[in-house]
Amino acid sequence: MNRHEKVVIQGMEEGSRVESRVLEERIQKAVAGGYPRVEVQAYGQHGIGGRLWNTGPEPVLIDIHGHPGQRIGSMGSPHTFIEVHGHASDDVGWLNAGATIVVHGDATNGIANAMAQGRIYIAGDIGARGMTMTKSNPRFSPPELWVLGGVGDSFAEFMAGGVAVVCGLGSHYRGNILGHNPCVGMVGGRIFFRGTQKSYSEADVRMTRIGDEDWQWLQSGMKDFLRAIGREDLLDVLSGDRSAWRLLAALEPHEKDCGKRISISRFRSRVWERELGTGGLIGDLTDMDRGQVPVIATGPMRRFAPIWENHKHVPPCQAACPAGIPVQRRWELIRRGLVQEAVDLALQYTPFPATVCGYLCPNLCMQSCTRNLDHMTPVDVTVLGRASLDAREPRPCASTGAKVAVLGAGPAGLSVAWQLWMKGHEPVVYDRSPEPGGKIAEAIPGTRFPDEVFRRELGRVLEKISFRRLMGEFGQKEFLALKEGHDFTVIAVGAGIPCTLGIPGGEMAVPALDFLRRSKRGDITVGGRVVIIGAGNVGCDAATEASRLGAEEITLIDVREPASFGRERAAAERAGARFLWPVSARAINATGVELADGKILPGDTVVVAIGDRPDISFLPEDIDSRHGFIVADDGCRTSDPKVYAVGDSVKPGLITDAIGAGRRVSQSIDALIKGVHGPPEAPSPMDAGRVRLEYYDPGRRAAEDIGQCSEMCASCGGCRDCGVCEAICPRQAIFRKDIPEGGFEYCLEDDRCIGCGFCAGACPCGIWELRENEPLE
Amino acid sequence: MGTLHPSALSPRDLPWRVCWDRDRCTLCGQCTAVCPVRAIELGVHRRREVPVLMGLGERPGNVYRVYYGIDQKTDPAHACVGCGMCSFVCPNSAIFPVRSEETDKLKFHANQGGEPRRRGGRRNDTASVLDRIKFVRISMLTDPALDAGRHEFELRTLLGRILPPEEILNSAKEDGWAPPVREIYPLIVGGMSFGALSPNMWEGLQMGVAYLNEELGMPVRISTGEGGCPPRLLRSRFLKYVILQIASGYFGWDEIIHALPEMKEDPCAIEIKYGQGAKPGDGGLLMWHKVNGLIAAIRGVPPGVSLPSPPTHQTKYSIEESVAKMIQSLSMAWGFRVPVYPKISATSTTTAVLNNIARNRYAAALAIDGEDGGTGAAYNVSMNHMGHPIAANVRDAYLNLVKIGKQNEIPLFAGGGAGKNGNLAANAAALIMLGASGVQVGKYLMQAAAGCVGSEGDRCNICNLGRCPKGITSQDPRLYRRLDPEDVAGRLVDVFLSFDAELKKILAPMGRSTSLPIGMSDALGIDDFHAAERLQIRYVV
Repeated sequence: MNRHEKVVIQGMEEGSRVESRVLEERIQKAVAGGYPRVEVQAYGQHGIGGRLWNTGPEPVLIDIHGHPGQRIGSMGSPHTFIEVHGHASDDVGWLNAGATIVVHGDATNGIANAMAQGRIYIAGDIGARGMTMTKSNPRFSPPELWVLGGVGDSFAEFMAGGVAVVCGLGSHYRGNILGHNPCVGMVGGRIFFRGTQKSYSEADVRMTRIGDEDWQWLQSGMKDFLRAIGREDLLDVLSGDRSAWRLLAALEPHEKDCGKRISISRFRSRVWERELGTGGLIGDLTDMDRGQVPVIATGPMRRFAPIWENHKHVPPCQAACPAGIPVQRRWELIRRGLVQEAVDLALQYTPFPATVCGYLCPNLCMQSCTRNLDHMTPVDVTVLGRASLDAREPRPCASTGAKVAVLGAGPAGLSVAWQLWMKGHEPVVYDRSPEPGGKIAEAIPGTRFPDEVFRRELGRVLEKISFRRLMGEFGQKEFLALKEGHDFTVIAVGAGIPCTLGIPGGEMAVPALDFLRRSKRGDITVGGRVVIIGAGNVGCDAATEASRLGAEEITLIDVREPASFGRERAAAERAGARFLWPVSARAINATGVELADGKILPGDTVVVAIGDRPDISFLPEDIDSRHGFIVADDGCRTSDPKVYAVGDSVKPGLITDAIGAGRRVSQSIDALIKGVHGPPEAPSPMDAGRVRLEYYDPGRRAAEDIGQCSEMCASCGGCRDCGVCEAICPRQAIFRKDIPEGGFEYCLEDDRCIGCGFCAGACPCGIWELRENEPLE
Repeated sequence: MGTLHPSALSPRDLPWRVCWDRDRCTLCGQCTAVCPVRAIELGVHRRREVPVLMGLGERPGNVYRVYYGIDQKTDPAHACVGCGMCSFVCPNSAIFPVRSEETDKLKFHANQGGEPRRRGGRRNDTASVLDRIKFVRISMLTDPALDAGRHEFELRTLLGRILPPEEILNSAKEDGWAPPVREIYPLIVGGMSFGALSPNMWEGLQMGVAYLNEELGMPVRISTGEGGCPPRLLRSRFLKYVILQIASGYFGWDEIIHALPEMKEDPCAIEIKYGQGAKPGDGGLLMWHKVNGLIAAIRGVPPGVSLPSPPTHQTKYSIEESVAKMIQSLSMAWGFRVPVYPKISATSTTTAVLNNIARNRYAAALAIDGEDGGTGAAYNVSMNHMGHPIAANVRDAYLNLVKIGKQNEIPLFAGGGAGKNGNLAANAAALIMLGASGVQVGKYLMQAAAGCVGSEGDRCNICNLGRCPKGITSQDPRLYRRLDPEDVAGRLVDVFLSFDAELKKILAPMGRSTSLPIGMSDALGIDDFHAAERLQIRYVV
């Protein structure tokens, strides 16, 4: 084979164009046949000079004359050298894998698209999208595109490797030598260029300095380029002035990530606040700090704050006690070892703590004890009540000399008198009975309480209080005289007149009050069968007494479900009494009680226990009464401002109700005498739901002594000083402090507290309360 | 414990149950400190054991032990709202709310005292026709597909009355006036008032919008909502990015009037709010306890008074009067240089309003707010059952414009539901191709730019109580200072940039880059035959 031989392949034969496929076959055949040089007279054929892969190490030269079609040298081989003697169409060197392609004119769009190796030399301009999607394979030298003139729009899009050199000589792209918006999506490679360029994709590339190595590379490559296009005359122009050249290089991935945006914080200070003023949008309207706070904040920035509210609310026991005895506080004193003080406290509230709290009272305090909520036995207050027999007497206030007449020496009257005495006034108690004590002394069965206890308590009262028996007539005239002689008058005459049944034979029945009085005096007897009409607690007392007096068959009847309860009811049931309801009595005769349905309930003795009413025949007309009872307001004052009324003469009730009313009246009168405001508003009752009963042994049924009783008390609303809050606080914000005057308190370090409310949740006594923090604006 | 009453509920009856793990809990107190509704508290518990000796050699007894735990309250006022702040602050993943698998019984009791439930947030319905719409017209060789990454886009829309060329020429020649038109970004920050939003949230949104305009060249606009506008903003150059809203309460408008002579820039536009998609036909009420000194100053009212926005504008008794009178007055305020448009709740009568607007050349656009819009406070029944979906409504409006030949003249802006399930760009593109010139967005920004925990699952929804755990809708500094305005601004920028990228990803394959494909309904398909018929788009399966 002669290596210098050249073959000429015509693109036009006998007036017709050779198809691209046929021309391609002929070129391949010629090269395979050993021709190292092929001249092609092109007529628009596609892909000339590409794919000459099986040529061995020897170079193959393809000279192209005429009018070549698109994709000259596509998929070109490293030993292929192509020279286009004129202009070239689109996609020169498409997917070039090593061929060197020289175009001695301009080339159109897509030049070097997806080129991976090889070189393309263009002696003129190229069109749009040159050098796009080019690669650089580390196994080979990177591809190069050299353009003497300029390039069209969208140059180097997605360029991923290789080098482009744009000399900018004689280009018609004046003023924008790299065209519009080059380098979009470019991730690799470099672009050297000369001349003016308006913009490039700053997100992808940056303008960089041309280093010595770059410059040497450019100078040496330039010689080859100019030689290839036959323009060595330009070497001085293009290689003489380094400063005329610029270099665009793809940004490294990490350079792209940092972005070019200024930070918001910088924008805020440099732009936002510069225009609006310090403090931004509302800096003129508020100087409040609006800087960021943590989600879990302390001090003034926390949303909630706990408050230690010791004894702020009245515990349920005290709230339930008509006499207002601070039951919980007494147990608290005992827990602190102050037993005597706890005992003494009772006399501040009642003259009969042992008799009433210890025996006669249904103990409303125990009924309302918070422990009941968890089915635990309430704290037994009767223990404390009985111990009060040994209470030390309080010291009265300085004497005022004010005189108060108290009409009636029952529990109500004596309570009034006792309280007034403590406050320094001079009460005088009047009663028709030879002895004071009212129903406790006269009517309540001796089985209900030890007489000596009452005697001692009564004695304690009578040591301090004047008692005068009313002799003879006591009518309106006498009442007015009494009133005139005193600063205030308190009516506490009780309900001494039994109600009677308006039925035939009604007069044969014994009123319960008479029955009980006579029974207590021992001047009555009963038959074997006793019928008691009215099954309330007085009826039950009568039943118990009847049993004591020897009755064997005791029946209590009522028109409705019996209202009796507590100890009275229990005693009657123990005595074997039978309760019949609903039945009503039609008549009473010698054989017993005739019921509405005609049946006879046999009875030797019939007792009527349907209530009592007061004897108020002495009441002047200007003091209002209704249905036989005196009308008094909540403060027990009657329509005469100097006259008060308490106890059963106003409304039938418990002994403790009468004692409590007595205390309230004394407070009102005391305030008037001393010219001060009335008693302070009572604090609100404690919400028992805030007390934690889980701390107490639910199995404990009874206490062995007063000390154990005090431990069972849940101390509603009163701090037990147990230290649970200190322990549970997750921020150690709570600490205990001794108060110099005595006692203690629990305090909060606001700067530690986050307002979690754990103290409130854990507090056994409901002392800590979590509140919304103070509003900030 | 205790007695029953009709509204005594167990945790199982509640929509959200707080699951607490005793073994993981460190009793740090952070969950109870952060809970916005105090749904949880420390509880004291008693554990009972009955140790019995093998062989029964001794009589057994009881052993009691006390321990502490986190208890969930069950009264309706403290029912867990599922916000999840407890799990957010828990250092040990010991606590988290779980939606109850039981039917919500709280629903039947959230009306204590005869006051029906009110809430903030959204409809709580994940259904979305917009989500089901697909873009089915992809340029495959038929015409040049564009590359979203490298192609240059001009995604702008026009806000203003675009008269036909000869009418503009006549108008300019005869009146010396042509309707003002703004070229803006098609995604608009919808009206959320200063008051409904916290100061930090509001400033963050405004700052982000300014950044988008001045640093990134995106002409994004933001509506103030009805609550006035801070005096400084009114007197700043940033006002041009702001759409001032006027609504039935007219709050803050005296401040705007006072600022008018001192304005450096005209606002972008004036939005007259006639209705809100979330609660159509219902007014607003900013409770007195949210009206602090700051809100009062901006709204031009004394602090500590409740501020009602009536459901309707007073003194307007017909549609002609309502629309014409308001547009006239507000156009006049800025010398007819500022576009003025009404915003209405989507309704079956939308086309009647639109036809009226079509006859009024001063009307710049119509904004329609669909039922999926959000609100700071509304009655449950208004949110859940009142209103019209946006898709069919905006479509009807657009086709109506086509019928009268004015589809290029009156821009429609759609709101209420775009991005409700997180697909903001797709939903916005669907609305645009159904006929909207732009889309208003609010709730999505709450979630994306401020971390609102609300979802379509009745989560949180306590915007109305002012106890927003993220500080978005609260006026309490303890809450709103949790939110940094710079963070909000930064996230807003992220949202708009990513929205922009996604919108390009949708538009480029359709060969659209320099004009929005408004009404390009041949690109849309849906796999529901009736929906396709109704919307006049392709039925595709």
